[in-house]
Amino acid sequence: MFRHFASAVALGVAMAVVASPLCAQDQKGTLVFAVESLGAQTLDPILEGRPGNAVYQAVMYDSLVGFDLAKGGVGPGVAERWELSADGLTWSFFIRPNQVFHNGDKLTAHDVKFSLERQMGPGSLASAAASMRRTIKSIEVVDDLTVKVNTNNPQLGLPAGLSRAVAPEGAIMPKNYIEKVGEEEFRKKPIGSGPWKFVRNVPGDRIEFTAVTTPHWRGRPHFKDLHLLLVPEESTRVAMVRTGEAAIASIGPETMLSATRGGLEVLSVPGTMQAIFQFWGTWKPELKDSPIAKPRVRQALSLAIDRKQVIEHVMNGRARLPHPFATFAYTEYFSAARWEKWAAEAYRYDPALAKKMLAEEGYPNGFELRFANTALPGTQFMVDIGTAIADMWTKVGVKVTLKHYEWGSFAPMERGDQAGLIGWASMYRTAGRPDAPWRYDGAFSPESTQRLLGDKDNCGETCQEYVKTYRALIAELDRTKRTALTDRMVEITSNSWTVVPILEGMGYYAINTRRVGQFEAIPGRHELGDVFERIPRPEQKPWKK
Amino acid sequence: MKRYIARRLLQGVVLLFMVATIVFFLGRLTGNPVDLMLPEDATAEDRANLTQTLGLDGPLGEQFLIFAGKALHGDLGNSIRMKQPAVDAFFDRLPNTLVLIPWALLLGMVLGIPLGVVAALNRGGLLDRAAGTIAVLGVAMPSFWLGILLIFVFSVELGWLPSSRMGGPAHYVLPVITLGTFLVAGFMRITRSAMLEVMESEFVKLARIKGLSETAVIWKHCLRNALIPVLTLWGVFVSNLITGAIVTETVFAWPGIGRLTYEAVIYRDFPLLQAVIILKSILILVINLGVDILYAYVDPRIRLA
Repeated sequence: MFRHFASAVALGVAMAVVASPLCAQDQKGTLVFAVESLGAQTLDPILEGRPGNAVYQAVMYDSLVGFDLAKGGVGPGVAERWELSADGLTWSFFIRPNQVFHNGDKLTAHDVKFSLERQMGPGSLASAAASMRRTIKSIEVVDDLTVKVNTNNPQLGLPAGLSRAVAPEGAIMPKNYIEKVGEEEFRKKPIGSGPWKFVRNVPGDRIEFTAVTTPHWRGRPHFKDLHLLLVPEESTRVAMVRTGEAAIASIGPETMLSATRGGLEVLSVPGTMQAIFQFWGTWKPELKDSPIAKPRVRQALSLAIDRKQVIEHVMNGRARLPHPFATFAYTEYFSAARWEKWAAEAYRYDPALAKKMLAEEGYPNGFELRFANTALPGTQFMVDIGTAIADMWTKVGVKVTLKHYEWGSFAPMERGDQAGLIGWASMYRTAGRPDAPWRYDGAFSPESTQRLLGDKDNCGETCQEYVKTYRALIAELDRTKRTALTDRMVEITSNSWTVVPILEGMGYYAINTRRVGQFEAIPGRHELGDVFERIPRPEQKPWKK
Repeated sequence: MKRYIARRLLQGVVLLFMVATIVFFLGRLTGNPVDLMLPEDATAEDRANLTQTLGLDGPLGEQFLIFAGKALHGDLGNSIRMKQPAVDAFFDRLPNTLVLIPWALLLGMVLGIPLGVVAALNRGGLLDRAAGTIAVLGVAMPSFWLGILLIFVFSVELGWLPSSRMGGPAHYVLPVITLGTFLVAGFMRITRSAMLEVMESEFVKLARIKGLSETAVIWKHCLRNALIPVLTLWGVFVSNLITGAIVTETVFAWPGIGRLTYEAVIYRDFPLLQAVIILKSILILVINLGVDILYAYVDPRIRLA
């Protein structure tokens, strides 16, 4: 018995000794990725927003809740599972055992508590810091592998909010290390628990990482090094991929054709965003006689849009018909198949019916519509979509006054009395995320910034119905009832035609197939920060011709 | 001369104050960084929280007084995006831009000045028209277009040069050509007109009467005098390179102050934008002052005026 035990121990030790160098030998070359923005280019998660976190911080930090890699949306992360207490006020997260930071320290529940508190603390620029402070009552460490988050009221979306599928606030940082070296030193020499270790950060130029040599639950990288290069100009990024200076580059739909003609592979990531148009202040008393105050007029404008043409010509065929507003195939507690069928019918192109409906509503010769065309940074194709749909509305008799806004000047107009937008339609977008209620609250709640259905003083029938459904939804613990309530919320808002999806967009990458092997991105997640470790070298998995 | 320098310095201080004021208020008219840092579905609560954290919640006048007070002590604030002193960010990137400028100037002078001389000597002829065409092209070609064209030809198609980014000597070729092409045209035009003016001068006629060779008259006597206005323009060109490097540095992913300016604008990073514009202005003022002093020494008429 003792001999067997001794042999097993000896074998284990030998394997451990041999495994590391072998693993290291198996990791070769440098994976070079050219990207248009490195955000704040800081390796401290509390100082970065969502896109930057998902591009480069995700490389070296793990998130409390992770991804469903195949379907998109939420899946296991640092926590392998989580459960809600019967009263809906406490989430317990069960930490995956044997996780370590890059300095060898064990990752425990203490690090999770420390990280969440740091995200909520003073000095944090986390976008949800204030919301977290309001909703999270306390965080308790039960044991090394269990942490409880107590909330002030039921927060069913909390795990999604701590998943990189949605937000960066779940990034786990090393408590002992930060307390020992201080914040300043941590920012210079950051340590995480992800599959890549930090090497160098050259502001305005690049960030370099090297692969961990031990197995990692996200996957052990196939490349030895990873360089993320900041290359703002898209043509230059594509040129770099063509010359082999970079293996992968982020591109927009407008560059897809030239990349393909240049012999590059184009990878599409499904469900990363929706391009939408929406109407501002339709519920306001002063707009009661405006054509856009009538839901059937708004619906007619949707019927006048040939979405397939937009997909074909603006998005080069790499987009799809959308689900209803802010919902995707991976949306949680949502009857995706049913709504996909509904959307195919509702978002069809029928200009004859559009004209008929406009005539029935008293506008046989159309009307004047002011339309604000805008795009978030990095989504310039949105302006082309806006221009295309304005042209389509013109064809059914609507006289469109089109005004272009840079996003930085458009965003402030949403706030306050929205004077510059009341009575206008505008382009907008919504990012791909699995928790629909959060996005709906931002668009439709009478207390929200956008308040598209009404405000506290003017909350009509649809607005009240929405508020009632939303409140029931966020308090509902039963899965089936929650799905029914989400469907109802989607139904109310879809039938109001206040926010109308145009298409479901994708993320696009130009790839040099001589530099990297075939890989897939995570549905709904444009950025590749959680994908790099799974990208094979070209000889490991060549691209299919 | 001392009074001249003192007057120019005083003018510079007034100009800097005006620049700082305009940049401060103009920047804030175009939105704020909070909108670009938060996702589009951020709550009003989160927006208010971040606005306060970034110190952007006070009245604009109060913010300006704080900024002006700190600026007088050399503190131009911390970059909102980069979380480091804006002045440090500027000086970290400045050397990357400065290494391009001498090469671009050299290219401009080496090609532009001889072309200008040749054009002047062949006034109205074929060579003059050819040089004129080069000048028009040099000024008219947008640098982003030229840069992308050069990348496509020399990196993608021919594979001779790296497409972008800082690196060894080969990495300098395309950005320097892109920056320098404008200067070739500039130097060519100013040299041509200065040469034509000088060639009509009495001392040139005298040199010819004295029997000096045409080569000596043109390249020794005419060109030396024609270079005085070129010297003045040198200061303007360096200023243009400092401010105009934005496009070239963006196209070639060159991490200099041009790109830093672009990033500051895109992210509405007010402290960084203010610092970059103020420090660039100081740089340009110093260069122009240096050139003017030099010019005053070279040409006594300037001193006397």
